[in-house]
Amino acid sequence: MAQLARTIKRRLLHGDAAWAYAFIAIALLVYAMFTAYPVVSAFMISFQEYKPLGSTYVGFENYVNSFGDSLFWKSIRNTIVYTLLTVPVSLLLSFAVAILILPFKKRLQTAFKAVYYLPAVASGVAMSVVWLWIYDPLPSGLMNRLLDVFGIGNQNWLGSSATAMFSLVLMAWLSSHGTSIIIYLAALLGIDNSYYEAADLDGASFFQKLWHVVVPFLRPTTLFLLVTGVIGSFQVFQNAYLMTGGGPDNATTMVGLLIFNNAFKYFEYGEAAAQSLVLALIIAVISYFQFRFLGKDVEY
Amino acid sequence: MAKQSRVFASALALTLSISALAGCSSGGGNNNGNASQSPSGSASAPASSVASAAKDTITALLPPVSATYQDNFEQMAKDFNALYPNLTLKIEPASWEDMTQKLDTQVNAGSPPDIAFIPSASVSKYVQQGVLMDITDAATPEMVGDFETAPLEYMKNGTGLYGFPAYMEIHALGGNKQFLEEAGIDWKSVQKNGWTYDEFREAIKKGVVKDGNKTTRYGFVFANAGVASKDYLGILVKNAGMPSAFTKDLKYAYTSKNYLEVLKDVRQLIDDGSMPKELSSIDAGKRWNMFLTGQTMITGKGLATFENSANKNNEKLKANDGSAVEGSIPVDYIVLPVPSFLGQPAVSSPAVDGYVTFRGKKEPTPEHKANVVKAAYFLASGKVAAMTNNELFVAHITKSGKEAAASMTVNRNPDNAAAVEVLLSHAAPARPDIPPELGAKAIKLEDEVIVPKFQALLANEIKPEEMYEAVKSAAIKEFGQDGVVTD
Amino acid sequence: MALYKQHSGRKIAPYVRNAAIAVVLLVFAVATLFPIYFMIISSFGDPVEAGAANYTLWPKKISFESYLFFFDFSKYSYRWLLNSLVVAGSVMITNVVLASLAGYAFSKIRFRGRNVLFSLLLSAMMIPYQVTQVPLYILIVNVFHIENTYSALILPGIVTVYNIFLAKQFIGSIPTEIIESAKVEGCSQLQIFTRIIVPLSKTVLAVMAILTFVDSWNTFFWPFLVTNTMEMQTIQVGLKNFRFANTTYFAPMMAGAAISAIPMFVLFFSLQKYFLEGVTVGAVKG
Repeated sequence: MAQLARTIKRRLLHGDAAWAYAFIAIALLVYAMFTAYPVVSAFMISFQEYKPLGSTYVGFENYVNSFGDSLFWKSIRNTIVYTLLTVPVSLLLSFAVAILILPFKKRLQTAFKAVYYLPAVASGVAMSVVWLWIYDPLPSGLMNRLLDVFGIGNQNWLGSSATAMFSLVLMAWLSSHGTSIIIYLAALLGIDNSYYEAADLDGASFFQKLWHVVVPFLRPTTLFLLVTGVIGSFQVFQNAYLMTGGGPDNATTMVGLLIFNNAFKYFEYGEAAAQSLVLALIIAVISYFQFRFLGKDVEY
Repeated sequence: MAKQSRVFASALALTLSISALAGCSSGGGNNNGNASQSPSGSASAPASSVASAAKDTITALLPPVSATYQDNFEQMAKDFNALYPNLTLKIEPASWEDMTQKLDTQVNAGSPPDIAFIPSASVSKYVQQGVLMDITDAATPEMVGDFETAPLEYMKNGTGLYGFPAYMEIHALGGNKQFLEEAGIDWKSVQKNGWTYDEFREAIKKGVVKDGNKTTRYGFVFANAGVASKDYLGILVKNAGMPSAFTKDLKYAYTSKNYLEVLKDVRQLIDDGSMPKELSSIDAGKRWNMFLTGQTMITGKGLATFENSANKNNEKLKANDGSAVEGSIPVDYIVLPVPSFLGQPAVSSPAVDGYVTFRGKKEPTPEHKANVVKAAYFLASGKVAAMTNNELFVAHITKSGKEAAASMTVNRNPDNAAAVEVLLSHAAPARPDIPPELGAKAIKLEDEVIVPKFQALLANEIKPEEMYEAVKSAAIKEFGQDGVVTD
Repeated sequence: MALYKQHSGRKIAPYVRNAAIAVVLLVFAVATLFPIYFMIISSFGDPVEAGAANYTLWPKKISFESYLFFFDFSKYSYRWLLNSLVVAGSVMITNVVLASLAGYAFSKIRFRGRNVLFSLLLSAMMIPYQVTQVPLYILIVNVFHIENTYSALILPGIVTVYNIFLAKQFIGSIPTEIIESAKVEGCSQLQIFTRIIVPLSKTVLAVMAILTFVDSWNTFFWPFLVTNTMEMQTIQVGLKNFRFANTTYFAPMMAGAAISAIPMFVLFFSLQKYFLEGVTVGAVKG
C-alpha cells in the first residue's frame, strides 16, 4: 500500500514537473530571445572595442578603464545615495498609505487610490516639464515662493550641487509610490479575516495586529517591492537626464546616465557594456541579501 | 519572422485553451496539455519584391528643422520622385532631442539611414565609427559649386566630404532695442564694430533695473541649464583667441591663460549683479520668457529666428486677444555680437547643420551612392532650402536656394540682416584637419569635466582657478604635456 | 476590515480617527496631485510656445484650443491613440496570462532547475536597458526585419520578468493544502490553475493588468526606435513631435498628455472592483 502511494506520488510529481515546464515554456522562450540573447551579446561586447562595422577583442581593457575612472565611482556613489534615500522612504510611505486607506468606505478608498496612482499614469516627459517649473530657480518659482512663506531664502534647486540631488529625491518621494500602494493594497486585501479574528480573541491591539499579522503576511510583497525598487533605482536615468543632465559638477550623474552617455554620446559601447555588467553584479549581490533576509517562503 | 509569429500564435492558442476548459472531476490531466505545441499560425513572410537595378529607395532621418518643415515631407518626397522617377525618398520624422539617440542606436546596430540631418560638429564622431559615406567622387561639380565654401568645409573631415550643409547660423546675442537705447548703448555701432568685454560689462550694468533689493531687470541672461552651458562658454572663448578646441598645430587650446581670464569674467558678470546668480539653472524657455516680459535687456544665445518669434508676439499684443505671453511687452529684437576678450579679434560662432550621408555594414554600390547624393543635394538646395532657411531667418548658402527664395518675402529688420552679414564675415572657420580621435577626446573632456565644473562655477561653488586647474590636469592626462598649449 | 477596531459601543471614536487619517491622506494627496493639477490647467491654455507659457497657479481662462490643436496638429493623432491601444492591450493580455502561469509554476510546482531558472530570469532585470537595446534592435530590425510593425512593438514585451516575479510572490502565499486537495480530487495542474489559482489571484492579476497597460502605454523609446512612419507611431512618440527646435508647444503637449492619460483612467476604474473585492482564501476553503 505504502509502495503504491509512493509510486503514485512520484508519477504525480513527474506529471507536475511537465506541467511546470509547459507553464513557463513561453515565458522562457520570450526571455531567451528578447532578454537573454541581448544580455549575452552585451557580455561579449564588454570585451570588445565595439565598432558597428567590425569590432576587435580587447580583453579586460573596458573593465580596467571603468575601474580606473573616478567618474564611474562617483556615479555609483550617487546612485547608492539616491537609492538609500528613495527606496526605503517610498516603501514606508506606500505601506502607511495602504494601511491608512483601509478604514474608509469603498468609494472613498477608490478615490484615494486613484489619486495616489495618478502620477504614475501621466507621461514622464510632461511631468518632468512640470517639475522643472516647480524648481524654477528665480523667486517666481513655485518652490521658492513656498519657501518664502516660511522666510527661507531663494534656492537654486537643480542648479546647485547642494540641492540638486535632494530635488530629484523629493520628486521621487512625491511621484513614485502609486504602484507600490496598489500592490500593497492588493496584498492587504488577501489577508483572511480569520487571522484578525484570532488576534482579536487574544486581545491584540492595533499595532500588535499590524506587527504579528500584517507585516509577516506582506513579507513576500515587501520583498518584491524592495528588489524591484532597488533594481529600478540603480538604473534610474530619465529624471537625471531630463532635469539636470547629471550636473552640476556631476552631483547627479547616476550610473545609468553614465552608461547611456558612454554607449551613445561617446560611442564607447564596449565600456558601457562593461559598466552595466559591473552594475548588474552589484545589484545581484544586494538582491541576494534581500532574498536571504526576506525570502523565506511564507505559507499559511 | 516565422519564428516570431509562432511564439505569438502559441500564446494565443494557450489563451484560448484556457478559456475552453472542462470540469475538474474527470480523471486525467490530459486535456489541452499540448496547447503550447499547437501548430504555428503563419507561414513565411512574403518574399520581398525583387528590385530592378534602376529602382532605389533612399531613407532620411529628419528632425523638425523649421516650424513647418515636417509638414512638407510628403510634398518633398513627391517632388523628389517627380525629379527622379526611379527613386523613392523615404523620410522618417523624429524630434530634435530624440533623433540623435535613434540615429546612434541605428549606427551601433550597423544599419543607419542613408541621410540624417545632424550638426556638422558630430561629423567627426561618426567618421571615427566608420559609418559615414565619403561622397567626394559622387558629388558632381555643379552640386559642389552651388554651395558657399565656408559652410561646405564644415561637412568635411580629413579629405572626405560627408554631406551637404543646410545653413550656417551664427550664435549671437539678442537685445531689446528700447532698453538698449534707454541704457545709452549705440547698438548700431556695436552691430557694425563689435564691442570689447569691458564695454559689454559696463553696458549690461546699465541695463539692470532694481526695485529696492530686488532686481526686476537683468542686463544679460544666457540659457545655461544642463548642457546648454557649453554653448555659453563656447561662444565666449572663441572671442578670446581660441576659435577651436585645438590650435593650428593641433594642441589643446583650453589650457591657455586666456581661458582662465574668460572664466574670471564669467564670474564677474554674475557678481556685478548684471546676470542672475541662478544662471546655472535657467533654461532656454525661461530666458526667452524673461526677454519677452522685459526681465532682461540682452539674452543669449540669439538665433536669427528669434526676431520672428518676437515679431509674432508683438502682433499678438497688438491684437490684444489674450494670446500673447503673459506680462510680455512689445520688443524690437536686435542682433548683437558677442564681446571680444583680451584684445583678441572677434570670432563669431557658426552652427552648420546639414544632410550627412551614412553607410551600413555593406559597402554601398556606386549607383546607390550617386542616388543618395542626389537626395542629399535635393534637400540641401533649391526650393526645400529656400523655404526652410526663410522660415529660420537664416542666410541662403546655395545659389539655387537664393534663386528659389527671390520670390518669397521675409519681414526682417534690415539692420539685423546687415549685422548677421558682419558676423558671418568673421565666423570661425571649419577644422577638417582635426583628427577624429582628438575631436572625440575633446568632446568627452568637455562633457565630463568642463560642463560640470562650469555649472559649479556658475553656481558659485568653485573658483575660476579651481575650474581652470581641473580642466588643465584632465587635458594633460588626455593629451600629454606636449599636446596642450602652455603660455 | 478587521485590522481596525470595530468600535461597537462609542459612535464618536471611529469618526474622529477616520477624520484624522483623512486629513493626513489629503495633505499627502495634494502634494502628489499638484503636478497633475498643473498639467491639466496648463492644457486649457492657448497653444503657444513654451518660452511663452504662462506659469500660473490659477487658469486665467479656460480654452479647449490646445486640445483642438493636438488633433489638428497631425492627421495621425487618432491613429497614434489607436496604435497605443492595440499595443498596450495586447501586451496586457499576454502578460497577465503568461506571467500568472509562470508565477504559479515557479511558486507552487516543484521541478528540476526551478531556482536556477528563476534566478536567471531575475538577473536579466539587472542589466540596464541602455545596453541591451542595441542587440535587441539588431535582432528585430536586422535579423527578423519586422521594424515598423505591431509585432516589433509587442513581441519584446509579451511577458516581463517583473510580472512573473509579482505573480510568484502573490501566488506563493496561497495555501498549499488547497492545491493538494484539488490534486486528490483529480484536477490536473492546468485545472488547478484556472479553477483555483486564477480566482484566488484576481486582485493581483487586476493590479498586474493595469500596471502593464500603463507601462506599455507610456513607453517611449522602444516604439520610437522601431517605427519609422507617422502612422505606426504610438501616442507617446507622437506627443514628442510637439517639441520643436528651440521651443515647445506647451499647452498642447499638456493636452496631449491629458488625452493620453484618459484610457488608463478608464481601465483603472473598470478594474477597480477587483482591487477592492479582495479574495479571501476562506471563501474557497469553505
